[in-house]
Amino acid sequence: MLKIGMFGLGVNGALHFSNMLHMDDVEVVAVADASKTALKRAKNAGIKHQYKDYNDLLKDRKDLDAIIISLPNFLHHDSIMKSLEAGLNVFVEKPMATKVWQCKEIVNLVEKTGLLLMVGHAMRYYDAIEKMKKITDAGRVGKLEFFTAESIMNGPLSHGVVPSPVPDWWFDPDRVGGGVLLDLGYHLIDLHRYFMGESKLIFQNFDHKYNLKVEDTATLILSSKNGKAANGFINVGWYQKAIFPEYDYRCIVHGDSGHTSTDDYLPKNMYYHAVKEGTKNFIRKISFQKIRPLSYTYFYESFYKELSAFFQSIKNDVETEVTAYDGLKTMEIIEEAYMRMVQ
Amino acid sequence: MKSQVMLLKTDKLQNNINECITKLFDNVFNIGDVQNVAIKPNLCYYWKASTGYTTDPRIVSGIIDEIRERFGNDVDIKIVESDATGMRVKYAFTMLDYAKLSAEKEVDLFNLSKDESEKIEVKVGKTELSFNLSKTLLETDLLINVPKMKVMRETHMTGALKNLFGCISNTRKIKYHEILNETIVGVNKVLKPEINIMDGLYALSKYPVKIDALIGSDSPYSMDYVAATIMGYNPNTIKFMQLAKENGLGDPKNIEVKGESINSIKSIFPHVNNFLYKNSFKTLLKFLKLYTYLVGDIVPPILEGI
Repeated sequence: MLKIGMFGLGVNGALHFSNMLHMDDVEVVAVADASKTALKRAKNAGIKHQYKDYNDLLKDRKDLDAIIISLPNFLHHDSIMKSLEAGLNVFVEKPMATKVWQCKEIVNLVEKTGLLLMVGHAMRYYDAIEKMKKITDAGRVGKLEFFTAESIMNGPLSHGVVPSPVPDWWFDPDRVGGGVLLDLGYHLIDLHRYFMGESKLIFQNFDHKYNLKVEDTATLILSSKNGKAANGFINVGWYQKAIFPEYDYRCIVHGDSGHTSTDDYLPKNMYYHAVKEGTKNFIRKISFQKIRPLSYTYFYESFYKELSAFFQSIKNDVETEVTAYDGLKTMEIIEEAYMRMVQ
Repeated sequence: MKSQVMLLKTDKLQNNINECITKLFDNVFNIGDVQNVAIKPNLCYYWKASTGYTTDPRIVSGIIDEIRERFGNDVDIKIVESDATGMRVKYAFTMLDYAKLSAEKEVDLFNLSKDESEKIEVKVGKTELSFNLSKTLLETDLLINVPKMKVMRETHMTGALKNLFGCISNTRKIKYHEILNETIVGVNKVLKPEINIMDGLYALSKYPVKIDALIGSDSPYSMDYVAATIMGYNPNTIKFMQLAKENGLGDPKNIEVKGESINSIKSIFPHVNNFLYKNSFKTLLKFLKLYTYLVGDIVPPILEGI
């Protein structure tokens, strides 16, 4: 049984928490969050040890195998470093940290300690992306030549069915670290690397439709050919009112023998998808098979899958599927884009 | 004298909003001298006017110009809104271009939730209500109500009467949602805007729809009566409209409609079946709860607590 500590029970933290309660061989032992309400929810779910400050959790709990970090961006670096120094494996929501120098420190410490660190690149775990990766790895579209991806929605500006205010740190450039490029663009840059190889930044353009200090619209052109030829086009925005449960992203990979696209695999109707997947799970249940958790939601399933992959790496003592190095390389592109825009 | 409602359509590029506003002032409103004015748009969340959710700042801009034209440049004009359960006014003003408008027109942006407030106690039918309203708002000479034309699951529609619910200073307005109809009427028993201009440039049906309409009225009740008809509802079956009538806020027999015909706008507004709209989501959630109970699957926290 893996013993887990959690830092942060906000939107994604609550999702990870809820997922872990349904996982075999995983026990959430302690949680830390500044919100009393969040701690009360954890207590009601049977978590015995709650802390307002993650430093106290680290001091008290010496029996943990890993920490799951879903804190605001500006706390990632500090909490990761302290967790690694305490000898704990770490899963952290993206971005790994808000600055490249912080990411480098983390990569160095991971290497020094030999611990596992996985960054939450959830998009790699989307069913459609997994299928596309399988196809491209099998050579079915030939040599990969071009990658296009877009993700336009409300990002942190959307709210659940029961609304709650967007936390202030999302509007503070120093604490959030960036705008839509860091929020949504991050995933697509990672996918460019994932499909095409090491990325270089060719061009960047930002817009501020919401008059915020951070960008709400970003377009990047990338190259995986050492900057010699552009082969990646990324377009992200926070400006579109997302309509639950639809999820607006798209990714196309062109090779010299064909192409593959998320459009080929994304459910056309999310309600129909939910009924179909729910029925499959019901049949699995009555046939005494394991269900496929959250498959009916499409989007949220990826969070379950990435966390399961992390725990599997700990159990088998093998490298995580997404590493600290992946987090660093993605942040290098983002920081360079921000620096060029300032110049 | 009958309550006036005037329907206007802008040109297709929506370039003549100011002309339309002047026409409304000439034909519908009859205002004496004013020293201070509060303009209340609908800024329910951080979604631009073109999504159909919030009031277009171009309309508020036109109103400011018209007020200055008629009452002089010394009139103190405030654009007012209050924090809501999931929305903070300071961000809404910035993100929805009201901060830009404020700088350009030299008018104040005013957060009603941050002002000293007065506790209001009012009875609607058998329901005793208590809420806070900003003292500045209560003392203003002229309140201009600038709602959005949109459908809403809970109440069929949001319009002039509902927009004033947004004046309540209390941030967690969601606590009033169980007595929403009564609270809407309760606020309207206290606040009496003499100018109501509804933004129907991009209205909201089940999705946004560009209908290029502006509606002016001297009565929030009369405005909503006409707007509900345009949206395809029978206003007499809408709970808060019934309550409003019972509480003397208006009477369908006392409405005079001018300008464009109701049918000319109604014909381009996609009607939403409110019964299905309201209940389909609830039914889905019930199915979800049953499914997760039977199968042992997970409910994402974003859907919990509903």
